[in-house]
Amino acid sequence: MKNHLLSLLFAAPTLFIGTLSYASPTATEIYISIKKGRFSPSEIEIPAETKVKLTIENFDDTPEEFESYDLNREVLINPGSKASFYIGPLSAGNYKFEGEFSPETAQGIVRVK
Amino acid sequence: MPHAIKRLFCIGLLSFTPLIHAAEYLSGPADYIYSPIVEEGEREIDTKFGTQSPRNGDTTRQSGASIGFGYGVNSWWFTEIYGKAIWDGNTSQFDAVEWENKFQLTETGKYPVDIGFLIELERPQNRNEGYEAKYGFLLQSEWKKWQANLNLLMQGHYTGTENQGTYFGYQGQLKYRLQPEFEVGAQIYSWLGQVNSWNTDQQQQSSVGPAIFGKTKLGRKEAIKYNVAYLWGTTAASPRNTIRMQAEYEF
Repeated sequence: MKNHLLSLLFAAPTLFIGTLSYASPTATEIYISIKKGRFSPSEIEIPAETKVKLTIENFDDTPEEFESYDLNREVLINPGSKASFYIGPLSAGNYKFEGEFSPETAQGIVRVK
Repeated sequence: MPHAIKRLFCIGLLSFTPLIHAAEYLSGPADYIYSPIVEEGEREIDTKFGTQSPRNGDTTRQSGASIGFGYGVNSWWFTEIYGKAIWDGNTSQFDAVEWENKFQLTETGKYPVDIGFLIELERPQNRNEGYEAKYGFLLQSEWKKWQANLNLLMQGHYTGTENQGTYFGYQGQLKYRLQPEFEVGAQIYSWLGQVNSWNTDQQQQSSVGPAIFGKTKLGRKEAIKYNVAYLWGTTAASPRNTIRMQAEYEF
């Protein structure tokens, strides 16, 4: 038991180094802009079971938060700046997202096929 | 890369303080599962409560609660200040002030495991306990609607006259993301003994049980998040049972 748990203790930094050096295949990158409280494009299509990098640039002068329960992501994008994060691998289906600060207009969907 | 250097600088600065350790290990009734994910700009009022029943035949429950304010300073650093209180059947007292710092070390979702680092400094009201530090790696992975967490933690006191030693423990959580308002899962909290002197299996403190989670939006950028767990002690040194809950008001 003790040896097993000691292994666990040493596993964390090893995992950390291993994760950082993990040579992931280059993820497809999709660019989305925010202008006047709307995502553009508001509908994107990605292949199933594939990791994708989303880069979102906010051209408005107010912050926006990309929020999606379906995608399990909440990311703040400050005015005039951009933020990147990864989604997937996902099963085929539709995954909604919205801008938390302007949910009436900032709506979007990721279609996974 | 500059961000990585800043993160390492902050971690190094905070890590410098608890160079000498000595501590009682304590799996508090109001403990919770840390996540490595940081949300920039998030502000929250965080309340926690827990109560546990001792195993030694004493029917007096031991309880603890905390209230804190947390803020996501940027995309990789979240900081929070807490006040903590404890009570049993007869007495209650202010217990400690705690400063929690969480650093997200990897980009969200980039690798199979998201990794963070926790440094938590506590000033107990009982000055014989000196200061307490808790630190360790926070790991999170997701697969479809499942999310798993494993945190490997060290905890110790320093500059005090009580509770010598540095302890090692872990927390784990498995969650199924059913719907925003209601998710189900399980949690485990375990302290295994001093780093240089492991406890026997029955001397270790370990509690495991089901948990529920959820988040309800109150308005634009306002939400209540909660999680509740009922935990059974699995060793002779563990509390017989623990009920713990956390509610956060995000704004």
